[in-house]
Amino acid sequence: MNDRITFANFHPVSLFFYFAAMLVFTMFTQNPVLILFSLVGASLFSAATSTREQIFADIKFYVPVFIVISLTNPIFSHSGATPLFFMNDNPVTLEAVLCGVDIAAMISAVMLICKAFSKVMESEKLLCLFGKAAPKLSVVLSMSLRFIPLFKRKFKEIKDAQKALGYFKSGSFSESLMSNARVFSALVTWALENGADTADSISARGYDVGGRKSFALFRFKKRDAILMTITLVLSSVTLVGFLLGKADFEFYPYITQINTDALSVILYAAFGSLSLIPFIFEVKEALHWKYLRSKI
Amino acid sequence: MKKSPNFLKYLIFLLLIPAVVFAGVAVFDSKQYIFIAVCVSILACLPFFYAFENKKTSTRKLTVLAVMVTFSIIGRTLFSFIPHFKPVTAIVVITGIYLGAESGFLCGALSALFSNFIFGQGPWTPFQMFAWGLIGLFSALLSKPLQKSKVLLCIFSALSGVMYSLLLDISSTLWYDGAFNLSRYAALVLTSLPVMAVYAASNAVFLLILAKPIGQKLTRIKIKYGI
Amino acid sequence: MEILTLKNLSFTYPTEEKKAVDNVSLFVKEGEFICLCGSSACGKTTLMRLIKRELAPRGTLSGEIFFCGKAQSELSERESASEIGYVLQNPETQIVTDKVWHELSFGLENLGYSSDIIRLRIGEMANYFGISHMFRSSTAELSGGQKQLLSLAAIMAMSPKLLLLDEPTSQLDPIAAADFIATLKKINRELGTTIIIAEHRLEDIFPIADKIAVMENGALIAFDTPKNVCRKLKDHRACLGFPVSARIWQALSGEGEVPLTVREGRTFFKENFSPRKNDLKTEEEKRETALSFSDVYFRYEKNAPDVLRGVNTTINRSEIFCLLGANGAGKSTVLRAAAGLIKPYRGKIKTAEGAKTALLCQNVQDLFLMNTVKEDLMDILSVYGIKKGEANTKIEEISKMIGISHLLEKHPYDVSGGEAQKCALAKVLLTEPDILLLDEPTKALDPAAKKELAVILRALCKKGVTIFIVTHDVEFAAENADRCALFFDGEILPASDIHTFFSANNFYTTAASRISRGTFDGAVTESDILRLCGKEKK
Repeated sequence: MNDRITFANFHPVSLFFYFAAMLVFTMFTQNPVLILFSLVGASLFSAATSTREQIFADIKFYVPVFIVISLTNPIFSHSGATPLFFMNDNPVTLEAVLCGVDIAAMISAVMLICKAFSKVMESEKLLCLFGKAAPKLSVVLSMSLRFIPLFKRKFKEIKDAQKALGYFKSGSFSESLMSNARVFSALVTWALENGADTADSISARGYDVGGRKSFALFRFKKRDAILMTITLVLSSVTLVGFLLGKADFEFYPYITQINTDALSVILYAAFGSLSLIPFIFEVKEALHWKYLRSKI
Repeated sequence: MKKSPNFLKYLIFLLLIPAVVFAGVAVFDSKQYIFIAVCVSILACLPFFYAFENKKTSTRKLTVLAVMVTFSIIGRTLFSFIPHFKPVTAIVVITGIYLGAESGFLCGALSALFSNFIFGQGPWTPFQMFAWGLIGLFSALLSKPLQKSKVLLCIFSALSGVMYSLLLDISSTLWYDGAFNLSRYAALVLTSLPVMAVYAASNAVFLLILAKPIGQKLTRIKIKYGI
Repeated sequence: MEILTLKNLSFTYPTEEKKAVDNVSLFVKEGEFICLCGSSACGKTTLMRLIKRELAPRGTLSGEIFFCGKAQSELSERESASEIGYVLQNPETQIVTDKVWHELSFGLENLGYSSDIIRLRIGEMANYFGISHMFRSSTAELSGGQKQLLSLAAIMAMSPKLLLLDEPTSQLDPIAAADFIATLKKINRELGTTIIIAEHRLEDIFPIADKIAVMENGALIAFDTPKNVCRKLKDHRACLGFPVSARIWQALSGEGEVPLTVREGRTFFKENFSPRKNDLKTEEEKRETALSFSDVYFRYEKNAPDVLRGVNTTINRSEIFCLLGANGAGKSTVLRAAAGLIKPYRGKIKTAEGAKTALLCQNVQDLFLMNTVKEDLMDILSVYGIKKGEANTKIEEISKMIGISHLLEKHPYDVSGGEAQKCALAKVLLTEPDILLLDEPTKALDPAAKKELAVILRALCKKGVTIFIVTHDVEFAAENADRCALFFDGEILPASDIHTFFSANNFYTTAASRISRGTFDGAVTESDILRLCGKEKK
């Protein structure tokens, strides 16, 4: 499904590191420059990997969220030294308004990064990651992934079987509730009783021997190492910037100046590049294919 | 399963949580509550995961757990004709009551984690894991009275719906403000009140109808397969 | 060399007094292909599970099991897990993971193999079993036959020395079942893997098995080559599922070489009988119409292809009508349309005035949701608004008629396949249908259970119920239907009585018809042949 997303072709471990770094840094900072980079990077990637309709749907969702969060902040927060006007005897301050915008941008960025994460990391990648850290829970996860389509199909099958006997009624809400509960009950019995088969099938294949090692189809290739290295280098630079206080930013009582010294610029550059990595890969690949096609 | 070493492990994990809080407050000047809160919710789940990974679980128990987790994930789609109804809480409560504390917690936490794999991860995942895990844990602790009294079951399930909603609103407040802002929290709770009410009521109804039959099925399976 | 030795093995379940396995001694040589047969509750599954330590039921065991010369208790967990493979009955529930490749690697992961070895092994397996094109597919997308093949491949990936299979084809359609058996033969012949398979459908297995083990009431009553078993067990109940050629041979002469395949059966007839004509014509009666389809078209979605493409047919009152056809062709859709589950977008389905239909689904477990059979039967009556006292009488009546009175207090999942079928049928009959629709009713039934089902259906017919069966069980249709029709390409081809139907078909016909063709034209069942030979079947 997501074969068309270039960034999704990396090894899950590299991808996980990348997203973890992005999330932690974005959640950590109030610095508007960094948040802007994060938001732009995530938005561009989201746009590059969505259809036109999806982009419109996203705009319809994120813009109101953004507005609501930024508008509500001054209502709840009255800190800040520059009152713009008074509402119910409470000051609405410039700082609170700008802080609201900043937080809205941060939350949107985090949500978009989470969305990108979900898009790129499909179940197989998660199993690969999970399998290394928690082999047993990953067995539960893969069983669950197997059961989901099975139970859904079975639910329909049972519903049909009961319908064909005039057993399933959906006139009123309570009829519908009882009928669905009856189907659900039959499904629970089916699933629990037949679960013994699944358990036997696991036992028969030596689960109890111990020392299970998870296997995944992904291979760690050179390009995965490259992504990992880039992520590590840029994150380290960003982290050093954070520790040196270059990312510090305060809204209350007065808005701090944005740092523009050399070290800060390096921090911005590093984090900016980190944010844009997924988008750059998409664009690069798109251009590459265009070029290849023009050769034909 | 031997009691003492595992108990020690729990203790270490439990001590880690305040340590993180202190470290967070010290390092980040108490501004990054949200980060601390995320860490705490994850850390609170870890001891259960760790204990589960490190002991022998029969494949049958494993399967039953997977079955219950799957039900709480797909329950949403199966009962889509009831608006705003997610049977996750109800199924986690049933699992807790009939299969014990560990299964209850794991069912709750894993349901949150796995269903977000499918419906999309978000900043809310760790809180959901923690909240549902706790619901499973508490229903296991209250297993006996909950099995006896339908009224209590209803109250408990409605309450756990409310608690869940309140807890997630706390996380939202932390997200929005970076700190706990009471008026913001009150506003959030007020806006989510109707959904919360539907949620609590549907939990109670669902449990009223299904707790007993599903409970009987689980009990039968426990006896039949010696779980 | 002997790979498996059972010495005086007996086993009793904790809650029962009767021995489930009774003093069984068995010697299996390396590379042998062994078929274990017997009626449903004869102890086959228990015996097979006892051999696979991980799946052994709890209970009292006596006697000894040796694998490769080692006592079972001395096998390491690893040996026992990897060297004895076990394939279960149900393709749906024995698949553990969501992806084909993951299913293949699951066992190897458990044994802790390195990623490189696993990669190689599962690649090999996917190639050998011809499933590489679906290597990355979801297991949910596979057909039943493919699922079962995948389960086999997943076991074979662990390279077992001994492969145990518990009725692996019972849930499959005949073509998928034949494919599966052919794959087993390939494994046995090319890799030398020892195979023990428990089966009901023996037509395909007899010719390739080295030895047949027959069990009855927990005891081993025969263990010999297929031909010798046929000689030894003449007129025995256990022979019900044997190949038709062999059964006819047993009934007729019981002398000379035993024919096992259709080809051998034909030779046997040519040599021993002079051609004669079948005078067994079923007389045509004019009957009222119970259910009619006129130009029925159906598709699942607006842009999907038609599944029903102008279905035209009539089903008469109180007859057994069988619709035959390949899997996935849309036979079941016809039944669903008749039950009113789906609405055709063109054409009409008419039932006789006031006639009620009821459909018994393919997987009868779909109908059970209570803790006992009786509660389940009560439940459907309560939905129909029938009071308790009346309900009790109704349940009593129906249980007596179908013969499930002794099962009423049992959990519906604790009864055998044939019994579950009967309980589900009782549930359906409580709705008092005039037209009974049955979807693959013989799936997973052993020959004895099929016979019982046939008796019940005939009795219902006598009471005026019309029975419409969709099946791929050609033999069942030939023996029990009044009329048959073939479903093909979205249409029901014109129906005819069974003798006309099966003697006109060259391929889609019974084994008996294929065997006797040319000698006894028009004979379609075993009893036809026996009658023509002047010998009534007992």
